[in-house]
Amino acid sequence: MTLLLDILTTSIILYGVAAGLLIIFGVMKIINFAHGALLTVGGYAALLVTTWGLNPWWALPCAFLSGALCGMVIERLVMRPLYSRPLDAILATWGLGIVIGQCITLVVGRGVQFVNSPVTGAVNIFGTSYSEYRLLLVPVVLGVVAALAWLLNGTRLGLLTRAVIMNEELARSLGINSALVRFATFSAGAGLAGLAGALITPLSSVDPNMGVPWLVSAFMLVMVSGVSLFSLGVACLVLGGAQVIVSTWGNSILGGLTIVVLAAIVLRLRPEGFSRV
Amino acid sequence: MHINRKFWNRKFWLAAAMTMGAGLAAPVFAAEPIKIGIAVGLSGPNSVVAPSVVQAAELAVAEINAAGGVLGRLLELEVADDASGAAGAQKAFDSLLFQKKVDSIITMETSAARNAALPIVTRGKKPYIYTSFYEGRSCNKYMYVNAWVPEQQVASVVDFFAKNLKTKSYFLIGSDYAFGRGMLEFTRKYIEQNGGKVAGEEYLPMDGSDWTPIISKLKASGADALITSTAGGAPNVTLTKQLRAAGVKLPFGNLGVDEGTAKSMGSDAEGVYLAASYFTNIDTPRNKLFLADMQKKFGADLKTPNDLSVPEYDAVWAYKLAVEKAGSMDTDKILTALGQVTVDGPRGMIKMDSQRHAALNMYLGQVQADGGVKILEAFKAVSPGAQCPNLM
Repeated sequence: MTLLLDILTTSIILYGVAAGLLIIFGVMKIINFAHGALLTVGGYAALLVTTWGLNPWWALPCAFLSGALCGMVIERLVMRPLYSRPLDAILATWGLGIVIGQCITLVVGRGVQFVNSPVTGAVNIFGTSYSEYRLLLVPVVLGVVAALAWLLNGTRLGLLTRAVIMNEELARSLGINSALVRFATFSAGAGLAGLAGALITPLSSVDPNMGVPWLVSAFMLVMVSGVSLFSLGVACLVLGGAQVIVSTWGNSILGGLTIVVLAAIVLRLRPEGFSRV
Repeated sequence: MHINRKFWNRKFWLAAAMTMGAGLAAPVFAAEPIKIGIAVGLSGPNSVVAPSVVQAAELAVAEINAAGGVLGRLLELEVADDASGAAGAQKAFDSLLFQKKVDSIITMETSAARNAALPIVTRGKKPYIYTSFYEGRSCNKYMYVNAWVPEQQVASVVDFFAKNLKTKSYFLIGSDYAFGRGMLEFTRKYIEQNGGKVAGEEYLPMDGSDWTPIISKLKASGADALITSTAGGAPNVTLTKQLRAAGVKLPFGNLGVDEGTAKSMGSDAEGVYLAASYFTNIDTPRNKLFLADMQKKFGADLKTPNDLSVPEYDAVWAYKLAVEKAGSMDTDKILTALGQVTVDGPRGMIKMDSQRHAALNMYLGQVQADGGVKILEAFKAVSPGAQCPNLM
């Protein structure tokens, strides 16, 4: 039972972390390597909320806004001039990730800090005692993803975004303002990264490099899942579940490798990954 | 324009005479200062603790210089950044030993940095005092160590658990690197030698932050107590938070946490046991004097003295006493003297005469609800065991 709960909660955390990266990848066809740094920005936003003594649940909107603001600035200044050079854009986000990390270090220092968890302790569920916060993350992340899916499928901006995802050239020739779509998507993706950062900090620490380990896993998951949020969910469940199983029955060192190795195998066997599942 | 053909004319000799006169009349310069190199992690993971280490050295140097210096010469510090790692240590040691030409290196660093620096120390042929606790068994002709090794720290924790808390089976969790594995390897041997059982031993890579499967294994193992040896900083915090969130209430001994981190962990750290050779509330007059002097010197900029910075203070004093005992700057004489002098520092009387290591007073403390550490038991003069049997 604990194993199942571990798999469920680990997958949901990966889902939350990777969602922002996925939509940026879908629309702009680039991997935002500053994703880890934006996670960190969200983490520090949550820290600010704690320092100001506010209810920890305020950390979520604060983190989303901080991430989105960073995203807007980055998109305008760095991504826009590099529209026609996707490889250079990817490299630019890598550099940005480093710059953001160092800026945070300059301002706040390198020390490790703590964020208050909105709920603490364990609850008894299905016969075992399990961390309440981890369980709470399941509905929270699913809610966020559902809101994102509604935005994509039920609004006009979402329609325009899906058009750009399908074929940007064609969309532009139809008069769709792809620059606006890119701007909105990048900001939303960055905001989601910030939100994910705030969601994971109660379970870990806040330091300038907290986002880096998540970047690789998120990258692999996005690569394997195509463009649909649903297939990302499946990928998180399968790969995240494998990671937990390997860590539980083998050791955690191997577990850390599982996502990366499995992603490589999946892509080799089925290049379209989990899309169209 | 009048061109002065003759160079060696009156003007030249007048200038020369004035210069020589000025040179002869100048005051006699003081003797060259003795330079101590400090290669410490100003950047990288150790940057959280490096400022306190430098402050400890600065206080020692100020005290020694106020009393007349060493052999009539003043002490001077040269600080270099080793980026808390091997590559940085190589650069730092090279620059200290061969460019700045320091007379000795006294510093605290990660094991990776130390291992990379030792060949350079051997080439540089200068004394090197290593002031950080570590996993033990590092030996070099030019190195002395005045901080604890597992034989001194682990024993304190396991003995206390077995005797006072009656624990029999232990679960070990660590970060996957030299210190984490080295400490737990020793812990396992010590537990088994003393009749206990190891119910599980798990590691996570140093940058890993998800301890969930390991915590699940801990709960399933039925162990009586938990002993951890994670890297300082983030791993300590993430593991403790996740343990508490999962409702783990076992006796928890943390071999790798320092007083400062434990204090800032708030209520999550309450009840954690830690063992060290220094706590700020050690109740001796010498420690109280040390803390007062640090406060006076650094005021609001003071970084709390801790088990990584106080050995630096002790080591600078040990160097001073050794140089005076040797009577010269000859490296071999100083190396011999370092094993013979005793320093009266905040941690007590310390002499590095156990195969280049030192017997130390160890303290077992427990983090209280208010974040302070209460000293539960003191162990006097714990031996480091056989660290370097081939060196004297």
